[in-house]
Amino acid sequence: MRLAGKRAFVTGGRQGIGRGIVDAFVTEGAQVMTCGRGARPADLPKAVGWFELDVSRDADVQRVCRVIGPVDTLVNNAGVQVEKTVVDSTDADWDLVMGVNARGVFNVCRAFIPQMTPVGSIINIGSISGKVADPSMALYNASKAFVHGLTRSIAVDHGPRIRCNAICPGWIETGMLEAGFDLAQDPEAARADAIARHATRRFGSPADVASMAVWLASDEAGFATGQLFTIDGGMTAASPLNPGLF
Amino acid sequence: MKLDGKTALVTGGRGGIGRAIVSRFVKEGATVYAADLTPQGSLAEHDEDGSRFVKLDVTQESEVIDAMNRVKAEQGRLNILVNAAGIEIEKTIEDTTLDEWNQSFAVNATGTFLTSKYALPLLREAARSGTSASLINFGSYDGFIADPGLAAYCATKGAVHALTRAMACDHGPEGIRVNAICPGYIDTPMLQSFFNGGGSGGDGGTIETLQKAVRDVHPMRIYGTPEDIANLVNWLASDEARYASGQLWVLDGGLSAQVQQMKL
Repeated sequence: MRLAGKRAFVTGGRQGIGRGIVDAFVTEGAQVMTCGRGARPADLPKAVGWFELDVSRDADVQRVCRVIGPVDTLVNNAGVQVEKTVVDSTDADWDLVMGVNARGVFNVCRAFIPQMTPVGSIINIGSISGKVADPSMALYNASKAFVHGLTRSIAVDHGPRIRCNAICPGWIETGMLEAGFDLAQDPEAARADAIARHATRRFGSPADVASMAVWLASDEAGFATGQLFTIDGGMTAASPLNPGLF
Repeated sequence: MKLDGKTALVTGGRGGIGRAIVSRFVKEGATVYAADLTPQGSLAEHDEDGSRFVKLDVTQESEVIDAMNRVKAEQGRLNILVNAAGIEIEKTIEDTTLDEWNQSFAVNATGTFLTSKYALPLLREAARSGTSASLINFGSYDGFIADPGLAAYCATKGAVHALTRAMACDHGPEGIRVNAICPGYIDTPMLQSFFNGGGSGGDGGTIETLQKAVRDVHPMRIYGTPEDIANLVNWLASDEARYASGQLWVLDGGLSAQVQQMKL
Protein backbone atom coordinates (compact mmCIF):
# COMPACT_ATOMS: atom_id res chain seq x y z
CA MET A 1 0.00 0.00 0.00
CA ARG A 2 1.85 2.99 -1.35
CA LEU A 3 -0.07 5.68 0.53
CA ALA A 4 -0.35 4.02 3.94
CA GLY A 5 -0.38 6.56 6.76
CA LYS A 6 -1.09 9.53 4.47
CA ARG A 7 -4.03 11.90 4.89
CA ALA A 8 -5.46 13.20 1.63
CA PHE A 9 -8.06 15.76 0.65
CA VAL A 10 -9.52 15.46 -2.86
CA THR A 11 -11.89 18.15 -4.14
CA GLY A 12 -14.76 17.15 -6.42
CA GLY A 13 -14.84 13.48 -5.40
CA ARG A 14 -18.47 12.79 -6.19
CA GLN A 15 -17.93 11.31 -9.65
CA GLY A 16 -15.65 10.95 -12.65
CA ILE A 17 -11.92 11.54 -12.24
CA GLY A 18 -12.24 12.81 -8.65
CA ARG A 19 -14.05 9.70 -7.56
CA GLY A 20 -11.47 7.54 -9.35
CA ILE A 21 -8.73 9.26 -7.35
CA VAL A 22 -10.64 8.85 -4.07
CA ASP A 23 -11.09 5.12 -4.72
CA ALA A 24 -7.44 4.62 -5.71
CA PHE A 25 -6.17 6.51 -2.65
CA VAL A 26 -8.37 4.38 -0.38
CA THR A 27 -7.06 1.20 -2.04
CA GLU A 28 -3.49 2.37 -1.44
CA GLY A 29 -4.15 2.86 2.26
CA ALA A 30 -4.65 6.61 2.56
CA GLN A 31 -7.13 8.28 4.87
CA VAL A 32 -9.24 10.22 2.37
CA MET A 33 -11.56 13.18 2.64
CA THR A 34 -13.43 14.64 -0.27
CA CYS A 35 -16.02 17.29 -1.01
CA GLY A 36 -18.60 18.48 -3.47
CA ARG A 37 -21.60 20.69 -3.86
CA GLY A 38 -24.55 18.86 -2.30
CA ALA A 39 -25.12 15.89 -0.06
CA ARG A 40 -22.82 12.93 0.45
CA PRO A 41 -23.09 10.41 -2.42
CA ALA A 42 -24.79 7.23 -1.24
CA ASP A 43 -22.13 4.94 -2.71
CA LEU A 44 -19.10 6.70 -1.18
CA PRO A 45 -17.13 4.22 1.01
CA LYS A 46 -17.86 4.78 4.72
CA ALA A 47 -14.21 5.41 5.56
CA VAL A 48 -14.12 8.45 3.28
CA GLY A 49 -14.96 11.79 4.88
CA TRP A 50 -17.42 14.01 2.98
CA PHE A 51 -17.68 17.78 3.13
CA GLU A 52 -20.37 19.80 1.43
CA LEU A 53 -18.28 22.52 -0.16
CA ASP A 54 -18.20 24.91 -3.10
CA VAL A 55 -14.48 25.59 -3.55
CA SER A 56 -15.18 28.97 -5.13
CA ARG A 57 -16.34 30.27 -1.70
CA ASP A 58 -13.25 31.14 0.30
CA ALA A 59 -14.87 31.40 3.75
CA ASP A 60 -16.27 27.88 3.35
CA VAL A 61 -12.91 26.55 2.15
CA GLN A 62 -11.21 28.01 5.23
CA ARG A 63 -13.83 26.51 7.54
CA VAL A 64 -13.43 23.03 6.03
CA CYS A 65 -9.65 23.40 6.11
CA ARG A 66 -9.74 24.09 9.89
CA VAL A 67 -11.90 21.00 10.44
CA ILE A 68 -9.69 18.74 8.34
CA GLY A 69 -6.36 19.89 9.76
CA PRO A 70 -2.96 18.86 8.33
CA VAL A 71 -2.88 16.71 5.19
CA ASP A 72 -0.04 15.05 3.28
CA THR A 73 -1.76 15.15 -0.09
CA LEU A 74 -4.05 17.68 -1.67
CA VAL A 75 -5.80 17.04 -4.99
CA ASN A 76 -7.50 19.96 -6.69
CA ASN A 77 -9.85 18.16 -9.01
CA ALA A 78 -13.14 20.07 -8.72
CA GLY A 79 -13.93 21.68 -12.06
CA VAL A 80 -16.75 22.82 -14.30
CA GLN A 81 -16.96 23.51 -18.01
CA VAL A 82 -19.05 25.85 -20.12
CA GLU A 83 -19.01 25.20 -23.84
CA LYS A 84 -18.88 28.68 -25.36
CA THR A 85 -16.62 31.01 -27.32
CA VAL A 86 -15.40 34.26 -25.77
CA VAL A 87 -18.09 36.28 -27.50
CA ASP A 88 -20.91 34.04 -26.28
CA SER A 89 -19.67 33.82 -22.68
CA THR A 90 -21.60 35.80 -20.07
CA ASP A 91 -20.37 37.32 -16.80
CA ALA A 92 -22.12 34.46 -15.03
CA ASP A 93 -20.15 31.95 -17.14
CA TRP A 94 -16.92 33.74 -16.17
CA ASP A 95 -17.83 33.71 -12.49
CA LEU A 96 -18.72 30.02 -12.60
CA VAL A 97 -15.75 28.72 -14.61
CA MET A 98 -13.06 30.97 -13.19
CA GLY A 99 -14.67 30.76 -9.73
CA VAL A 100 -14.40 26.99 -9.50
CA ASN A 101 -11.48 26.13 -11.80
CA ALA A 102 -9.15 29.03 -11.03
CA ARG A 103 -10.26 30.76 -7.82
CA GLY A 104 -11.21 27.39 -6.28
CA VAL A 105 -7.70 25.97 -6.75
CA PHE A 106 -6.25 29.19 -5.35
CA ASN A 107 -8.62 29.15 -2.34
CA VAL A 108 -7.84 25.55 -1.45
CA CYS A 109 -4.07 25.89 -1.93
CA ARG A 110 -3.91 29.11 0.10
CA ALA A 111 -5.85 27.56 2.95
CA PHE A 112 -4.15 24.14 3.07
CA ILE A 113 -0.49 24.86 2.22
CA PRO A 114 0.43 26.39 5.61
CA GLN A 115 -0.79 23.32 7.44
CA MET A 116 0.42 20.59 5.09
CA THR A 117 2.78 17.97 6.46
CA PRO A 118 6.23 18.18 4.81
CA VAL A 119 6.94 16.93 2.26
CA GLY A 120 3.41 17.49 1.08
CA SER A 121 2.22 16.72 -2.42
CA ILE A 122 -0.28 18.92 -4.24
CA ILE A 123 -1.80 17.47 -7.39
CA ASN A 124 -3.81 19.83 -9.55
CA ILE A 125 -5.98 18.57 -12.37
CA GLY A 126 -5.09 20.70 -15.37
CA SER A 127 -6.00 19.65 -18.89
CA ILE A 128 -4.63 19.16 -22.39
CA SER A 129 -7.05 22.03 -23.09
CA GLY A 130 -4.75 24.31 -21.10
CA LYS A 131 -2.01 23.66 -23.67
CA VAL A 132 -3.94 23.40 -26.93
CA ALA A 133 -7.42 24.73 -27.53
CA ASP A 134 -10.64 22.75 -27.56
CA PRO A 135 -13.08 24.64 -29.79
CA SER A 136 -15.84 26.60 -28.02
CA MET A 137 -14.33 26.07 -24.59
CA ALA A 138 -12.65 29.45 -24.22
CA LEU A 139 -13.04 30.06 -20.48
CA TYR A 140 -12.41 26.42 -19.62
CA ASN A 141 -9.20 26.35 -21.67
CA ALA A 142 -8.02 29.59 -20.05
CA SER A 143 -8.89 28.40 -16.55
CA LYS A 144 -6.79 25.28 -17.04
CA ALA A 145 -3.83 27.34 -18.27
CA PHE A 146 -4.19 29.27 -14.98
CA VAL A 147 -3.95 25.96 -13.12
CA HIS A 148 -0.75 25.11 -15.02
CA GLY A 149 0.85 28.44 -14.16
CA LEU A 150 -0.19 28.24 -10.50
CA THR A 151 1.23 24.71 -10.32
CA ARG A 152 4.69 25.92 -11.29
CA SER A 153 4.48 28.91 -8.94
CA ILE A 154 3.57 26.78 -5.94
CA ALA A 155 6.36 24.33 -6.75
CA VAL A 156 8.88 27.18 -6.93
CA ASP A 157 7.62 29.17 -3.94
CA HIS A 158 6.83 26.36 -1.50
CA GLY A 159 9.54 23.80 -2.24
CA PRO A 160 11.13 21.98 -0.52
CA ARG A 161 8.23 21.74 1.95
CA ILE A 162 5.76 20.99 -0.83
CA ARG A 163 5.85 19.29 -4.21
CA CYS A 164 3.26 20.53 -6.67
CA ASN A 165 2.42 18.96 -10.03
CA ALA A 166 -0.48 18.95 -12.44
CA ILE A 167 -2.02 16.08 -14.37
CA CYS A 168 -3.40 17.03 -17.78
CA PRO A 169 -6.02 14.46 -18.75
CA GLY A 170 -7.21 14.08 -22.31
CA TRP A 171 -10.49 12.40 -23.19
CA ILE A 172 -11.57 10.39 -20.17
CA GLU A 173 -14.66 8.18 -20.09
CA THR A 174 -16.98 10.12 -17.82
CA GLY A 175 -20.57 11.17 -18.07
CA MET A 176 -19.35 14.44 -19.61
CA LEU A 177 -17.76 12.62 -22.58
CA GLU A 178 -20.81 10.45 -23.25
CA ALA A 179 -23.05 13.51 -23.25
CA GLY A 180 -20.80 15.03 -25.93
CA PHE A 181 -21.17 12.03 -28.23
CA ASP A 182 -24.92 11.93 -27.71
CA LEU A 183 -25.07 15.38 -29.30
CA ALA A 184 -23.22 14.24 -32.46
CA GLN A 185 -25.14 13.68 -35.70
CA ASP A 186 -23.92 10.10 -35.76
CA PRO A 187 -22.79 9.25 -32.21
CA GLU A 188 -21.29 5.90 -33.19
CA ALA A 189 -19.21 7.34 -36.05
CA ALA A 190 -18.10 10.23 -33.83
CA ARG A 191 -16.94 7.80 -31.19
CA ALA A 192 -15.02 5.66 -33.73
CA ASP A 193 -13.38 8.75 -35.22
CA ALA A 194 -12.33 10.05 -31.82
CA ILE A 195 -10.89 6.69 -30.79
CA ALA A 196 -8.86 6.54 -34.04
CA ARG A 197 -7.11 9.74 -32.92
CA HIS A 198 -5.70 8.00 -29.85
CA ALA A 199 -2.49 5.97 -30.18
CA THR A 200 -3.97 3.69 -27.49
CA ARG A 201 -7.15 3.22 -29.56
CA ARG A 202 -9.24 3.79 -26.46
CA PHE A 203 -10.26 6.69 -24.23
CA GLY A 204 -8.90 7.03 -20.74
CA SER A 205 -10.67 5.95 -17.60
CA PRO A 206 -10.72 7.78 -14.26
CA ALA A 207 -8.46 4.96 -13.04
CA ASP A 208 -5.79 5.95 -15.62
CA VAL A 209 -5.64 9.45 -14.16
CA ALA A 210 -5.86 8.10 -10.61
CA SER A 211 -2.83 5.87 -11.09
CA MET A 212 -0.71 8.90 -11.96
CA ALA A 213 -2.19 10.73 -8.95
CA VAL A 214 -1.20 7.82 -6.69
CA TRP A 215 2.35 7.96 -7.99
CA LEU A 216 2.57 11.73 -7.53
CA ALA A 217 1.17 11.41 -4.01
CA SER A 218 3.62 8.65 -3.11
CA ASP A 219 7.18 9.06 -1.90
CA GLU A 220 8.36 7.46 -5.16
CA ALA A 221 7.72 10.84 -6.77
CA GLY A 222 10.03 12.64 -4.33
CA PHE A 223 11.93 14.47 -7.10
CA ALA A 224 8.91 15.33 -9.24
CA THR A 225 7.71 18.88 -8.84
CA GLY A 226 6.59 21.81 -10.98
CA GLN A 227 5.62 19.62 -13.89
CA LEU A 228 2.59 18.99 -16.08
CA PHE A 229 1.98 15.30 -16.73
CA THR A 230 -0.24 14.60 -19.73
CA ILE A 231 -2.34 11.41 -19.69
CA ASP A 232 -4.20 11.37 -22.99
CA GLY A 233 -3.49 8.09 -24.77
CA GLY A 234 -1.08 9.87 -27.10
CA MET A 235 -3.68 12.16 -28.62
CA THR A 236 -1.79 15.46 -28.34
CA ALA A 237 1.48 13.84 -29.45
CA ALA A 238 -0.07 13.55 -32.91
CA SER A 239 -0.88 16.25 -35.40
CA PRO A 240 -4.53 17.42 -35.37
CA LEU A 241 -4.89 16.18 -38.93
CA ASN A 242 -7.36 13.36 -39.36
CA PRO A 243 -5.37 10.11 -39.30
CA GLY A 244 -7.69 8.66 -41.93
CA LEU A 245 -6.47 11.20 -44.48
CA PHE A 246 -3.11 9.53 -45.14
CA MET B 1 14.27 48.41 -47.17
CA LYS B 2 14.92 46.32 -44.13
CA LEU B 3 18.03 44.45 -45.23
CA ASP B 4 19.99 47.16 -47.02
CA GLY B 5 23.70 46.47 -46.98
CA LYS B 6 23.34 42.99 -45.55
CA THR B 7 24.68 39.78 -47.03
CA ALA B 8 22.64 36.59 -46.78
CA LEU B 9 23.10 32.95 -47.70
CA VAL B 10 20.04 30.71 -48.00
CA THR B 11 20.46 26.94 -48.32
CA GLY B 12 17.74 25.18 -50.27
CA GLY B 13 17.57 28.62 -51.90
CA ARG B 14 15.97 27.33 -55.07
CA GLY B 15 13.40 25.16 -53.32
CA GLY B 16 9.84 26.00 -52.34
CA ILE B 17 10.36 28.00 -49.16
CA GLY B 18 13.99 28.93 -49.81
CA ARG B 19 13.14 30.54 -53.14
CA ALA B 20 10.56 32.81 -51.50
CA ILE B 21 13.08 33.83 -48.84
CA VAL B 22 15.75 34.60 -51.44
CA SER B 23 13.36 36.68 -53.47
CA ARG B 24 12.18 38.60 -50.39
CA PHE B 25 15.74 39.24 -49.20
CA VAL B 26 16.66 40.62 -52.64
CA LYS B 27 13.61 42.88 -52.55
CA GLU B 28 14.65 44.14 -49.11
CA GLY B 29 18.04 45.20 -50.42
CA ALA B 30 20.29 42.33 -49.35
CA THR B 31 23.04 40.69 -51.36
CA VAL B 32 21.79 37.12 -51.50
CA TYR B 33 23.49 33.81 -52.19
CA ALA B 34 21.01 31.09 -53.12
CA ALA B 35 22.64 27.75 -52.35
CA ASP B 36 21.15 24.58 -53.75
CA LEU B 37 22.00 21.31 -55.48
CA THR B 38 21.00 22.71 -58.89
CA PRO B 39 19.98 26.13 -60.20
CA GLN B 40 16.41 24.84 -60.54
CA GLY B 41 16.19 23.25 -57.11
CA SER B 42 12.95 21.42 -56.48
CA LEU B 43 11.01 23.69 -58.85
CA ALA B 44 10.63 22.91 -62.54
CA GLU B 45 11.55 26.42 -63.54
CA HIS B 46 13.48 29.24 -62.03
CA ASP B 47 13.09 32.93 -62.70
CA GLU B 48 16.02 35.28 -62.50
CA ASP B 49 15.61 36.72 -59.03
CA GLY B 50 18.75 38.80 -58.60
CA SER B 51 20.46 36.27 -56.35
CA ARG B 52 23.86 34.67 -56.78
CA PHE B 53 23.65 30.91 -57.22
CA VAL B 54 25.99 28.71 -55.21
CA LYS B 55 26.07 25.02 -56.03
CA LEU B 56 25.99 23.37 -52.64
CA ASP B 57 25.27 19.98 -51.18
CA VAL B 58 24.98 20.81 -47.48
CA THR B 59 26.02 17.29 -46.50
CA GLN B 60 29.49 17.76 -48.07
CA GLU B 61 31.90 19.54 -45.76
CA SER B 62 34.26 20.57 -48.55
CA GLU B 63 31.43 22.16 -50.56
CA VAL B 64 30.25 24.06 -47.49
CA ILE B 65 33.79 25.35 -46.90
CA ASP B 66 34.05 26.41 -50.56
CA ALA B 67 30.73 28.24 -50.39
CA MET B 68 31.71 30.17 -47.28
CA ASN B 69 35.14 30.94 -48.76
CA ARG B 70 33.41 32.46 -51.77
CA VAL B 71 31.20 34.64 -49.56
CA LYS B 72 34.26 35.67 -47.57
CA ALA B 73 36.22 36.56 -50.70
CA GLU B 74 33.37 38.56 -52.22
CA GLN B 75 31.80 40.15 -49.12
CA GLY B 76 34.18 39.67 -46.20
CA ARG B 77 31.30 38.81 -43.88
CA LEU B 78 27.83 37.24 -43.66
CA ASN B 79 24.91 38.86 -41.83
CA ILE B 80 22.26 36.24 -42.40
CA LEU B 81 22.38 32.46 -42.76
CA VAL B 82 19.13 30.63 -43.47
CA ASN B 83 19.26 26.83 -43.27
CA ALA B 84 16.24 25.97 -45.40
CA ALA B 85 17.59 22.86 -47.16
CA GLY B 86 15.64 19.80 -46.09
CA ILE B 87 14.30 16.45 -47.20
CA GLU B 88 11.45 14.27 -46.03
CA ILE B 89 11.19 10.47 -46.00
CA GLU B 90 7.57 9.36 -45.68
CA LYS B 91 7.87 6.19 -43.65
CA THR B 92 7.53 4.72 -40.19
CA ILE B 93 10.81 3.73 -38.54
CA GLU B 94 10.15 0.10 -39.29
CA ASP B 95 10.00 0.81 -43.02
CA THR B 96 12.86 3.33 -43.00
CA THR B 97 16.19 1.91 -44.16
CA LEU B 98 19.41 2.88 -42.41
CA ASP B 99 20.44 4.74 -45.57
CA GLU B 100 17.22 6.76 -45.56
CA TRP B 101 17.62 7.53 -41.86
CA ASN B 102 21.23 8.63 -42.39
CA GLN B 103 20.29 10.70 -45.43
CA SER B 104 17.53 12.47 -43.47
CA PHE B 105 19.94 13.40 -40.71
CA ALA B 106 22.71 14.23 -43.20
CA VAL B 107 20.63 16.92 -44.90
CA ASN B 108 18.36 18.20 -42.13
CA ALA B 109 20.60 18.00 -39.08
CA THR B 110 24.22 17.59 -40.25
CA GLY B 111 23.66 20.08 -43.08
CA THR B 112 22.45 22.66 -40.56
CA PHE B 113 25.48 21.88 -38.40
CA LEU B 114 27.99 22.18 -41.25
CA THR B 115 26.73 25.41 -42.78
CA SER B 116 26.39 26.97 -39.32
CA LYS B 117 29.86 25.82 -38.30
CA TYR B 118 31.57 27.36 -41.32
CA ALA B 119 29.36 30.45 -41.44
CA LEU B 120 30.06 31.37 -37.81
CA PRO B 121 33.39 33.13 -38.45
CA LEU B 122 31.67 35.24 -41.13
CA LEU B 123 28.66 35.94 -38.92
CA ARG B 124 31.02 36.89 -36.08
CA GLU B 125 32.79 39.27 -38.46
CA ALA B 126 29.45 40.92 -39.26
CA ALA B 127 28.59 41.25 -35.58
CA ARG B 128 32.05 42.66 -34.80
CA SER B 129 31.77 45.27 -37.50
CA GLY B 130 28.59 46.58 -35.93
CA THR B 131 26.05 45.16 -38.35
CA SER B 132 23.82 42.43 -36.99
CA ALA B 133 24.17 38.69 -37.45
CA SER B 134 21.16 36.39 -37.60
CA LEU B 135 21.11 32.63 -38.11
CA ILE B 136 17.75 31.09 -38.96
CA ASN B 137 17.20 27.34 -38.94
CA PHE B 138 14.27 25.35 -40.26
CA GLY B 139 12.55 23.27 -37.64
CA SER B 140 8.98 22.15 -38.08
CA TYR B 141 5.77 21.80 -36.15
CA ASP B 142 6.57 18.12 -36.66
CA GLY B 143 9.41 18.64 -34.20
CA PHE B 144 6.73 19.16 -31.53
CA ILE B 145 3.93 16.80 -32.55
CA ALA B 146 4.01 13.90 -34.97
CA ASP B 147 2.47 13.46 -38.38
CA PRO B 148 1.95 9.77 -39.10
CA GLY B 149 4.55 8.05 -41.27
CA LEU B 150 7.22 10.75 -41.00
CA ALA B 151 9.32 9.35 -38.19
CA ALA B 152 12.84 10.23 -39.34
CA TYR B 153 11.72 13.69 -40.47
CA CYS B 154 10.12 14.41 -37.08
CA ALA B 155 13.31 13.30 -35.34
CA THR B 156 15.59 15.48 -37.50
CA LYS B 157 13.43 18.51 -36.79
CA GLY B 158 13.54 17.84 -33.05
CA ALA B 159 17.32 17.82 -33.41
CA VAL B 160 17.25 21.17 -35.20
CA HIS B 161 15.14 22.67 -32.40
CA ALA B 162 17.64 21.61 -29.75
CA LEU B 163 20.58 22.75 -31.89
CA THR B 164 18.92 26.15 -32.31
CA ARG B 165 18.73 26.73 -28.58
CA ALA B 166 22.27 25.45 -28.07
CA MET B 167 23.71 27.77 -30.73
CA ALA B 168 21.73 30.74 -29.38
CA CYS B 169 23.21 30.03 -25.99
CA ASP B 170 26.80 29.62 -27.24
CA HIS B 171 26.94 32.45 -29.76
CA GLY B 172 24.62 35.07 -28.26
CA PRO B 173 27.56 36.66 -26.42
CA GLU B 174 29.23 37.16 -29.81
CA GLY B 175 26.27 39.13 -31.09
CA ILE B 176 24.80 36.32 -33.17
CA ARG B 177 21.09 35.65 -32.88
CA VAL B 178 19.87 32.10 -33.58
CA ASN B 179 16.22 31.19 -34.15
CA ALA B 180 14.22 28.47 -35.85
CA ILE B 181 11.09 28.75 -37.94
CA CYS B 182 8.69 25.83 -37.47
CA PRO B 183 6.35 25.78 -40.46
CA GLY B 184 3.17 23.78 -40.58
CA TYR B 185 1.57 22.91 -43.91
CA ILE B 186 3.09 25.16 -46.57
CA ASP B 187 2.27 24.84 -50.24
CA THR B 188 5.62 23.63 -51.58
CA PRO B 189 6.85 20.86 -53.88
CA MET B 190 7.54 18.86 -50.69
CA LEU B 191 3.90 19.14 -49.59
CA GLN B 192 2.56 18.29 -53.04
CA SER B 193 4.79 15.24 -53.16
CA PHE B 194 3.44 14.27 -49.73
CA PHE B 195 -0.11 14.54 -51.04
CA ASN B 196 0.65 12.67 -54.24
CA GLY B 197 2.77 10.00 -52.64
CA GLY B 198 1.08 9.05 -49.40
CA GLY B 199 -2.33 10.59 -49.89
CA SER B 200 -5.17 8.15 -50.32
CA GLY B 201 -7.61 10.96 -50.93
CA GLY B 202 -9.13 10.10 -47.54
CA ASP B 203 -12.38 8.15 -47.55
CA GLY B 204 -11.68 7.17 -51.17
CA GLY B 205 -11.82 10.77 -52.42
CA THR B 206 -9.52 12.64 -54.82
CA ILE B 207 -6.36 14.62 -54.24
CA GLU B 208 -8.54 17.75 -54.27
CA THR B 209 -10.82 16.46 -51.51
CA LEU B 210 -7.74 15.46 -49.55
CA GLN B 211 -6.27 18.95 -49.89
CA LYS B 212 -9.57 20.51 -48.88
CA ALA B 213 -9.80 18.22 -45.87
CA VAL B 214 -6.30 19.25 -44.80
CA ARG B 215 -7.10 22.95 -45.23
CA ASP B 216 -10.30 22.56 -43.24
CA VAL B 217 -8.43 21.23 -40.21
CA HIS B 218 -6.64 24.59 -39.97
CA PRO B 219 -8.35 27.34 -37.96
CA MET B 220 -7.47 29.68 -40.86
CA ARG B 221 -8.92 27.14 -43.35
CA ILE B 222 -5.85 27.50 -45.58
CA TYR B 223 -2.36 26.19 -45.65
CA GLY B 224 0.46 28.63 -45.88
CA THR B 225 2.50 29.92 -48.78
CA PRO B 226 6.28 30.16 -48.94
CA GLU B 227 5.78 33.93 -48.85
CA ASP B 228 4.10 33.61 -45.42
CA ILE B 229 7.28 31.98 -44.16
CA ALA B 230 9.48 34.54 -45.90
CA ASN B 231 7.61 37.32 -44.04
CA LEU B 232 8.73 35.96 -40.68
CA VAL B 233 12.23 35.04 -41.87
CA ASN B 234 12.61 38.59 -43.13
CA TRP B 235 11.69 39.98 -39.73
CA LEU B 236 14.04 37.63 -37.89
CA ALA B 237 16.83 38.57 -40.29
CA SER B 238 16.26 42.28 -39.77
CA ASP B 239 17.47 44.55 -36.99
CA GLU B 240 13.88 44.89 -35.75
CA ALA B 241 14.34 41.42 -34.28
CA ARG B 242 17.47 42.43 -32.34
CA TYR B 243 16.13 40.95 -29.07
CA ALA B 244 14.76 37.73 -30.63
CA SER B 245 17.01 34.74 -30.07
CA GLY B 246 16.86 31.11 -29.05
CA GLN B 247 13.21 30.74 -30.00
CA LEU B 248 11.22 28.30 -32.07
CA TRP B 249 8.72 30.27 -34.14
CA VAL B 250 5.73 28.17 -35.11
CA LEU B 251 3.93 29.43 -38.23
CA ASP B 252 1.14 26.99 -39.04
CA GLY B 253 -2.17 28.83 -39.42
CA GLY B 254 -3.10 27.79 -35.88
CA LEU B 255 -2.95 24.07 -36.67
CA SER B 256 -1.01 23.06 -33.57
CA ALA B 257 -2.89 25.43 -31.26
CA GLN B 258 -5.85 23.11 -31.23
CA VAL B 259 -6.75 19.76 -29.84
CA GLN B 260 -7.51 17.15 -32.49
CA GLN B 261 -10.73 18.05 -34.26
CA MET B 262 -13.31 15.46 -33.35
CA LYS B 263 -16.18 14.93 -35.79
CA LEU B 264 -18.96 15.84 -33.38
